[in-house]
Amino acid sequence: METIPSFFAILIFPSGLFLLVAGLAYEWADRKLLAQLQNRIGPRWFQPLADVLKLMAKEEIVPDGVNVPLFIGLPIIALAGALTAALYVPIAGLEPVRSFPGDLIVTLYLLSLLTLCIGLAGSNTMDRFSVVGATRTLTQLISYEAPFLLAMLGPAIVAGSWQISSITTYTSERWLLLAQPLGFLVAIVGLMGKLEMPPFDAPEAETEVVAGALTEYSGRGLALFHLGKGVEMVIGLTLIAAFYLGGVTSPLLFLLKTLALLLLVVVFQALFTRLRIDQTVGLWWRYGVLLVLVQWLIVIIGQRLVS
Amino acid sequence: MHQDQTVERFTVPIGPQHPALKEPANFLITVEGEIVTKAVVRLGYAHRGIEKATESRNWVQNLYLLERICGICSHIHATAYCHGVERLANVEVPPRAQAIRVLVAELERIHSHLLWLGVAAHEAGFDTLFMYSWRDRETVMDLLEELAGNRVNYSVNVLGGIKNDIDAGQTQKILAGLDYLEQRTRHYLDVVTTDAGFLQRTRGVGVMTRNQAEVLGTVGPTARASGVARDIRVEAPYAAYDSYPVKLTLEAEGDLEARFVVRIKELFECYRLIHEVLDNLPSGDLTTRMPRRIKAAETVSRVEAPRGELFYFIKSNGSDMPERVRVRTPTICNMTSVVKLAVGHQLADVPMILAGIDPCFSCNDRMVIVDRGIRQQCMSWDALRRYGIAYYHGNHS
Repeated sequence: METIPSFFAILIFPSGLFLLVAGLAYEWADRKLLAQLQNRIGPRWFQPLADVLKLMAKEEIVPDGVNVPLFIGLPIIALAGALTAALYVPIAGLEPVRSFPGDLIVTLYLLSLLTLCIGLAGSNTMDRFSVVGATRTLTQLISYEAPFLLAMLGPAIVAGSWQISSITTYTSERWLLLAQPLGFLVAIVGLMGKLEMPPFDAPEAETEVVAGALTEYSGRGLALFHLGKGVEMVIGLTLIAAFYLGGVTSPLLFLLKTLALLLLVVVFQALFTRLRIDQTVGLWWRYGVLLVLVQWLIVIIGQRLVS
Repeated sequence: MHQDQTVERFTVPIGPQHPALKEPANFLITVEGEIVTKAVVRLGYAHRGIEKATESRNWVQNLYLLERICGICSHIHATAYCHGVERLANVEVPPRAQAIRVLVAELERIHSHLLWLGVAAHEAGFDTLFMYSWRDRETVMDLLEELAGNRVNYSVNVLGGIKNDIDAGQTQKILAGLDYLEQRTRHYLDVVTTDAGFLQRTRGVGVMTRNQAEVLGTVGPTARASGVARDIRVEAPYAAYDSYPVKLTLEAEGDLEARFVVRIKELFECYRLIHEVLDNLPSGDLTTRMPRRIKAAETVSRVEAPRGELFYFIKSNGSDMPERVRVRTPTICNMTSVVKLAVGHQLADVPMILAGIDPCFSCNDRMVIVDRGIRQQCMSWDALRRYGIAYYHGNHS
């Protein structure tokens, strides 16, 4: 009895096909908006899809000296991790399909799986650019991960639950952005770090390390990593919109709020120069952590005063 | 354990094919973590044999060949060549032609510096500045097209003068374009000196002291950013530069920021010079007669290209073809500074330091003879063929 809805949830909506398409659409919006801000025309609406189809059709070259099962398996695990995370998130403003106490932590770690897989994929190959890129990817991971996690836990504290559905019920009546602006800032910038967007694109800075950890990937593997990033962008934007922007209770609100967040992300991308990896680490551990800890302090003191 | 660490070196090859390089060159960067401990440069991937080719073309044909050495500073190559040949032939170029040569050279400098600003910003990962500066570069490209009919190889020079005159309508367009560019340039100067993110990547990075700049023989804006007062337009004015004196732009810091500032401030100097040329354009002929053959002699011609001193040695032998033309472009003078400065910096800074000298590889590549036990330097065609077959056979077996 349960199987058909489960398969639907995994393969079509909210995970699976819907999320892949949404990921491509958001990637297009990201590229188009950035291009407009940079005085360029930008890609046509089907460009991300065309890129993926082209990559899928191409031969996947497995370089010498890699662990072959790992090389082929990592992109699949990365995409699967990102898609699984969608089951616990209110995608398109609907209730999460699966829910249990503490699913927030599981979701956040499923989202980190992509970065871990990219790092591992880079270290798996012999290519120097990949190895340097992988080192940078993992260095960046340990620098933004803790502040990002803390920023996402801020709403959980005030909601008194680590279950996404109960947090969203709490936040849909309140704009936590107003109460926790620092947490919001750290969360959105953390998401940019997670997605390796400029200015946090040192791990894949083309002028330094070609394509970073994914230099040796071609064809299907590259396409899957690519899709994984798109999916992760949608999930990340959904989570932040649900937690900080007064919840996403309907598909329309979901669209409006995530796109507003995307616009903010694009503006950040256009405004800043790429940070060197040491500057990224410095930024997160010097300012990111401090900001989010201050935010926690305010939240906890505020709660004490209210109760 | 310690022994192992010193033996095992991690070398990142930048080039010959690499996204940071728009032309082929090879940098072997040895890193320890992210810190560069050694940098080696290998050039010569884009050798085109132009110097040799000049010896089988006549004086006029060579003008068009040499103009194609560089796609960005084509006019300055033609100017250097023309000056040399005119001196060999004892021909005096009319003042109006000299002034228009200066005018086009300065427009070209604007084009080159704006292009560089974009490329350097891209190396730093600041693509917004890249896109905007290249958009504004279109203004000066349009002006050059208006003036010469071409966007890249303007082909304004001929031996003994220039080809294109300038009329009142063109003057108006240039003035209007300069007004726009001046306002934009002020904005860019503001960006590169105040944008905190950008300054993190440029201030105090790749510092070259004045002493180093002199010892390494750097030229052009790279040297001027380290406080070395070196500009051929000032030291040995050619064309009409003695009638339109240039003010040197100097910065003392010697870091990447200074190189940005020097080039952007030079743009203002370009605008001022162009205004001055247009205001005081002498009237008269555009060309004088050039002899077809030039008696045996040799000369040196030095001009200030956008990247620094451009050096031509020209030798004639009494025929209508040169005996020898030697071209030394500014990139080769500045290249040693890249290898020197990269050590101790992060890998991420290397593309920036390289971009800081505004490299132009195919211009600087000359024949390199790698001695593989074959002593003779002149080979017959058959010997070269046999050597080539043996070389590739040896490599692939």
